[in-house]
Amino acid sequence: MRNGHTGEIARLIEPGRVHRRVYTDPDLFELEMERIFGSAWLFVGHASQVPKPGDYITTELGRQPVVMCRHRDGSVQVLLNRCSHRGAKVVNERKGHAPRLVCCYHGWSYDTDGKLLSVPVPEGSGKGFDKGAFGLASAPRVGDYRGFIFASLAATGATFEDHIGPMKGNIDDLVDRAPDGTLALDLGMHRYVYNGNWKLQVENVLDSYHVPFGHASTVNKDGVQFARREGDQKGAAVIETKKQQTAGSWRDRKSYIVGNGHGWTSNTMLDDGKRASPAFDEYKRVLADKVGAERATQILTPRLHNSLIYPNMSIMGLNIHVRVIKPLAVDRTEVTIYPIRLCGAPDSMNFGNIRLLNVTHSAASFVQTDDLESFVRTQKGLRSNLTDWVDISRGLGDEEPDRELNATRGLATHEMVVRAQYKAWLGYMREAN
Amino acid sequence: MDAASSVAAGIDRAAFEEFLFREAALLDARRFRDWMALFADDGTYWVPAVPDQVSPFDQASLFYDDRELMKTRVDRLDHPLIHVQTPPSRTAHLVGNIMVEQADAAKGEFVVGSTVIMVEYRDEAQRVFAGRQYHRLRLVGEGFRIVQKRVDLINCDCAFEAIAVPI
Repeated sequence: MRNGHTGEIARLIEPGRVHRRVYTDPDLFELEMERIFGSAWLFVGHASQVPKPGDYITTELGRQPVVMCRHRDGSVQVLLNRCSHRGAKVVNERKGHAPRLVCCYHGWSYDTDGKLLSVPVPEGSGKGFDKGAFGLASAPRVGDYRGFIFASLAATGATFEDHIGPMKGNIDDLVDRAPDGTLALDLGMHRYVYNGNWKLQVENVLDSYHVPFGHASTVNKDGVQFARREGDQKGAAVIETKKQQTAGSWRDRKSYIVGNGHGWTSNTMLDDGKRASPAFDEYKRVLADKVGAERATQILTPRLHNSLIYPNMSIMGLNIHVRVIKPLAVDRTEVTIYPIRLCGAPDSMNFGNIRLLNVTHSAASFVQTDDLESFVRTQKGLRSNLTDWVDISRGLGDEEPDRELNATRGLATHEMVVRAQYKAWLGYMREAN
Repeated sequence: MDAASSVAAGIDRAAFEEFLFREAALLDARRFRDWMALFADDGTYWVPAVPDQVSPFDQASLFYDDRELMKTRVDRLDHPLIHVQTPPSRTAHLVGNIMVEQADAAKGEFVVGSTVIMVEYRDEAQRVFAGRQYHRLRLVGEGFRIVQKRVDLINCDCAFEAIAVPI
């Protein structure tokens, strides 16, 4: 697989099944880093993480360490975090503020747009040394939608609009919940790692099939999950306890795909009429004051549960957060969870979201930990080569067009979304750049 | 608080030590419901996600449980289908370097600092958590209730594998 023959890769994906090597083969992982993470539009960060010139965050896009910083002209720059001299990582903190980016090794310093400003002992530089040619490399293409910053490490390929277009409504759905019409990822973060392939987390964000089983420990004896949103008195009915089976409302939920590997699931059924608390009531009032009562009702009527913007991020609508998936190795993945501050919402409402996200998605949470256990066990199980195939055939052939949403629709307990991800995966992987 | 003021305030450090050791023993014995009963009704359990975190209200935390969330956590730890505790964690806590940091004898409230090391073994893997913890204790009748337990892990901002049991 080292040279990644297109034909050989194509044989790993069949209509209703995926070869286990997709999750376990280190050579295939290297190819993914090159062909998916080296070219796709990847979520880097949100503009609110770098509000002032000189503010920066660091992250990785596949194998590439990058620094996202705010330049003096107000632009957000995505720069390769690697000194152009001898290759040291220039910025070592996860976030901070620096008017210039200075390498720790020999002191080369860069402006916040990547330009090389100065090198110590300049008279020692070779003849014809051109500072202009030694800036920090920039991501060839950067896109911004409502503060969500994406970058592609390839100079050519699908445009940002092609990529993000079908998912703009999903971003709007979240951002519009902020009374000021903007949100901020400035409430810290949760970080977790697991010994499993990155695609296990990607597949899981739109997997509604697992909830009654994978998250059984969060469901009470009446089949109802714990209350997960500010103002809710109880959570969703997940299990019909008399029959010991997945609840009807859960079976009726839908998922949607729109190409590029993207997709989403419809909302979790909760009694929104009964949603009330001092924080939520105040938030509702503030939102209605800003956007009008009718629009506020529309915004607060849940439509979406989770949205996946393939390949590395998701927007989660119930315990609102942005999730970023970083592959570390074929069997090791890091995930960052950003709580969302709804700008203009009362502090008590933003705290309500933080409080519940701590117990749904921190590394010590009630929900995420059981998912991590499933990922780890899947990776262990896939070591077995007595069976080569992973089944993703639920609902195959049952997909139908949704003309209103301009999407393809299936049941949320089916695996249409996973098949769509592998279609996109194959699209990237067959491209020998 | 220095020795002279401890003596003046009539504080017997042994009582605090005893309380912290017993709390740790409850966690190691997986007696989570009894552990929860040590907390006051307004008690909270807080493990910040960044060093020197000022507040749990405007920042993510690894844990910030009030009694309601703590009950959900403990109910889940008792649930037969908690996959991340199949098999369960085994832990050993070591609590030392105990110092009474603040004492308000009139109010009956004390802040006790200590260093905690918890070794956890589960599913063929062993790992270590370590940090400084602060117990705000309230004297209720003959015993203490925890008003807040805060654990400042030295690696609080790292990416963790799943954490299922309180530290």
